[in-house]
Amino acid sequence: MMERPHNSLDRLLDELPREATPQRNLWPGIAAAIGNKPRRSRSWFMAVASAAAAACLATLFTWAFLQRNSVPRVIQAATAQGAFDEPRDPKFVLARNSLEKTYTERLALLKPETRAKIQASLAEIRKAHEDIRQALIADPQSVALEQMLQSTWHDEFDLYESVVQATQPPLSRI
Amino acid sequence: MIHGQIRSFDAQASDEPTATISAAVNGNVAAFERLYRQYAPRIYGLCLRLTGQREAAEDCTQEAFVAAWRAIGGFERRSLFSSWLHRIAVHTVLSRRRGLRNQYEVAEPKSGLPDHPDPAGGAPPLDLEKAIAALPDGARHVLVLVGIYGHSHADAAASLGIAEGTCKAQLHRARQLLAASLQLEES
Repeated sequence: MMERPHNSLDRLLDELPREATPQRNLWPGIAAAIGNKPRRSRSWFMAVASAAAAACLATLFTWAFLQRNSVPRVIQAATAQGAFDEPRDPKFVLARNSLEKTYTERLALLKPETRAKIQASLAEIRKAHEDIRQALIADPQSVALEQMLQSTWHDEFDLYESVVQATQPPLSRI
Repeated sequence: MIHGQIRSFDAQASDEPTATISAAVNGNVAAFERLYRQYAPRIYGLCLRLTGQREAAEDCTQEAFVAAWRAIGGFERRSLFSSWLHRIAVHTVLSRRRGLRNQYEVAEPKSGLPDHPDPAGGAPPLDLEKAIAALPDGARHVLVLVGIYGHSHADAAASLGIAEGTCKAQLHRARQLLAASLQLEES
C-alpha cells in the first residue's frame, strides 16, 4: 500500500470541519413547528417519572420483602444485568424469557400473601412500562423516556431474579 | 487526535450558554432560537455526515431541534447541552433512516455529498469526504461519532443501540476501509 507520510488518517480526520451551513434557512420551519405544537409540560413529564419511580420502589419492596423472609441467599452464576447493552438485545430477551418461566414456576412455592405482593409489584412495573411506552409513541424523540422505558425492563428482570434467587432449591445451593 | 478531542470537549463545556439554556428550559422561544443559531452548524454537520445527503441532513436538523424543544423541559443538566442535543440528532437520523429504509436503499449513497463540504473549513480533502460517505452505514456512523465528533465509545454505542465492542470493531473497520480507499498506511 502506498504511504503518504504527511497525510495520516488521524490528521485528515482532525482537519475535517465539524460544522457546516445548510443551504436553506431552517429556523422558520422550526419556529412554525414549535409554535403549533406545545412543548411537553413539566407536569406530564413528572407523571411519567413518577410511574417509573413507583416501578423502582415496587422492585425494591419485593427484594426487601424476600430478604426479610430469611430465605438463604445463594451465589448464582447468573448473567449480570450490565452485560446487556440494550433491552431489545436478543440475548436479553432470551434470558428474560427463561427467567420469567422459572419465576412463574417458583412463584407457586411462596405463601399466598407473599405471592400477591410480588404480583402487585410486577403489575405496577408493567403499568409504568406501558405508560412510558405510550408517552414514547407521542414523543418518539425523547431520550429520557427511552432510558426510562429501558429501566422498567431491568426492574422486571430484577424482580424475577429476586424471586428465583430467594426460592432456589436447597440441593443446587453452593 | 485524542488530545484534540479532549480540548474540544473542554472548550464546549466552557462555551455552554447556561443562562440561555435556562431561559429555553423555561419556555423562552427567543432563547431557544439563540441556541439554534449557536448549535445548528454543528448539528447540521453531524447530520450531514451521518446521512451523506444534504436535504436529508437539513430535514433531520429541523426535526432534531423541534424534538429538542419538546423535550427541553426535561433537560436536567446531567450532561452537556451539546451532548444532549447530539443524542437527539443521532436518534432523529436513525429513526428517519429506519422509516425511509427502502428509499435510502435505492438512492445513490453519494448523491448528496457536498461539493464544497464546508464553507468555513477551508479546503477539506474531498476524497476523504467521499470515502466517508461510501462507508457502510454502521462503520460510517461510528466513525462520524467517535472518530470525528469525539464521542466516547460508550456514548456512541448507547446512541446507536449497539454493543460497545461492536462500536470499537466498527471504528476499526471504518479506519481500515478509509486507509485502503485513500491509500494510506494504517497502523
